[in-house]
Amino acid sequence: MKSKGFSRRDFIKTVGITTALAATGTVPPLLYASERRFVTFPEKTELLLLTSSPPQLETPLKYFRELITPNEALFVRWHLSNIPTSVDLATWRLVVHGNVDTPISLSFDDLKKFEKVGYTAVIQCAGNGRSFFEPPLFGGQWLNGAMGNVTWGGVRLRDVLKSAGIKTGSLEVVFKGLDKAALPATPGFQKSLQLDKALEDDIIIAYEMNGQELPLLNGFPVRLVVPGWYATYWVKSLSDIEVTDKPSESFWMKTAYRIPDDPCGCVEPGTAPKKTVPINRMTTRSLLINPEDGSRLKSGQPIELMGVAFSGGYGIREVLVSIDGGMDWRPARLGKDLGRYSWIQWFYPWQPAKSGTYQVMVRATNSIGESQPLDGLWNPSGYLLNTIERHNLIVT
Amino acid sequence: MKTTILLCIAVSLVYTALVIAGDQGFVKEGTRRSMTLPAAAISLKEGPGKDTTSSYCRICHSLDYITTQQKFPKARWQAEITKMIKTYGAPISEENARIIADYISAHYGTGG
Repeated sequence: MKSKGFSRRDFIKTVGITTALAATGTVPPLLYASERRFVTFPEKTELLLLTSSPPQLETPLKYFRELITPNEALFVRWHLSNIPTSVDLATWRLVVHGNVDTPISLSFDDLKKFEKVGYTAVIQCAGNGRSFFEPPLFGGQWLNGAMGNVTWGGVRLRDVLKSAGIKTGSLEVVFKGLDKAALPATPGFQKSLQLDKALEDDIIIAYEMNGQELPLLNGFPVRLVVPGWYATYWVKSLSDIEVTDKPSESFWMKTAYRIPDDPCGCVEPGTAPKKTVPINRMTTRSLLINPEDGSRLKSGQPIELMGVAFSGGYGIREVLVSIDGGMDWRPARLGKDLGRYSWIQWFYPWQPAKSGTYQVMVRATNSIGESQPLDGLWNPSGYLLNTIERHNLIVT
Repeated sequence: MKTTILLCIAVSLVYTALVIAGDQGFVKEGTRRSMTLPAAAISLKEGPGKDTTSSYCRICHSLDYITTQQKFPKARWQAEITKMIKTYGAPISEENARIIADYISAHYGTGG
């Protein structure tokens, strides 16, 4: 569908849809999905290929019909090309050092001696949905498949930090994995958390995904899990934890993964923010999963719309559905509640009486009243996307 | 002789049990997990600057990092190439940066 000299903008003009509508997700998937091909990487089922090295693989929407995303279907996103392709637990160690009383080096068995904890949490890439931004942006052109809902098992980061003894005056905790850049001049990937954040109850070093060991592509043997926050902090193949007494000067905290410092994390499309902060908690989202955008339905035949909704750690209070482009909104039935970090499924029975095109919209609100904007949210890196989607269902 | 054959069978059975060779290049062998990633299968469109673009960009990433982007004007691509040099340390001379920007904007950008 997309050919030389034919941009998404041209497409939008051609069909006479406003730019505001383009940001909602009804137009681009047709264009980009047509360019994508399926690939099978180690320990993975067929996923949509974004890039092969460093690998970026996207989960097809059909997997989100289930409450839990299978390990083999979870998206993949690495930053640097030398990713760990072989790990031996016999020699693997997790080191904790820096501003601590006793630096420690833990084997996989040592790590498993800490109390085991777990929960279900949404993992979502900061740039999920970036391809829907208008004006368009550089970066991974994700549709909505850079997310998943996984039951994580592991040990509390706090317990591990305390076993090394955090010295007074400590400010941050820095996390590094086994991945390396191709060039020495490229900044090595690392992320930092403020000490008080790092000591929160629910941050874990996970060695299990849905009761199984992690696939290598998702960070075997352990990765950090910061539930409610974007996956950029969930450092894969975690091998090095450093407690520091000064703020991080790393490229990946000071330059990359930053959002406008205002309540919406957004700016006027095409403009630069005056001040930025590191990205953090996820915005509230809801998605229609089935039937997919553009599906054809029969009038008079009852169906059930379904999808998922989640927020940055505050659960979901309500999901409203509109089948008439946002005029009338009615509550959806919510599925099984797996806790505040998990997504929840929503269901909406519907029997279209007349033929025609129906614009379906879904809007979620979390337990502290955070919801989704009607108009396109925009920032220069393509993060935080949670604009209310508009899907067309064609009834004949 | 018979003992040797039995021993061989036993060893191979144990080996099979230890090595669970998944398809698609994943191998689980004792405490070790290994994988072989599929080769990047993308090639760029023919045109002046194609080889320069391929050889430099591929140092750090597969070429689909170019081909999956949306269409941008040349100035935006120049800024992106500058970021690759200044931020990520790509060893690209000014002249080669010009060749790459010309090539990408002509074949994968808006041209201007």
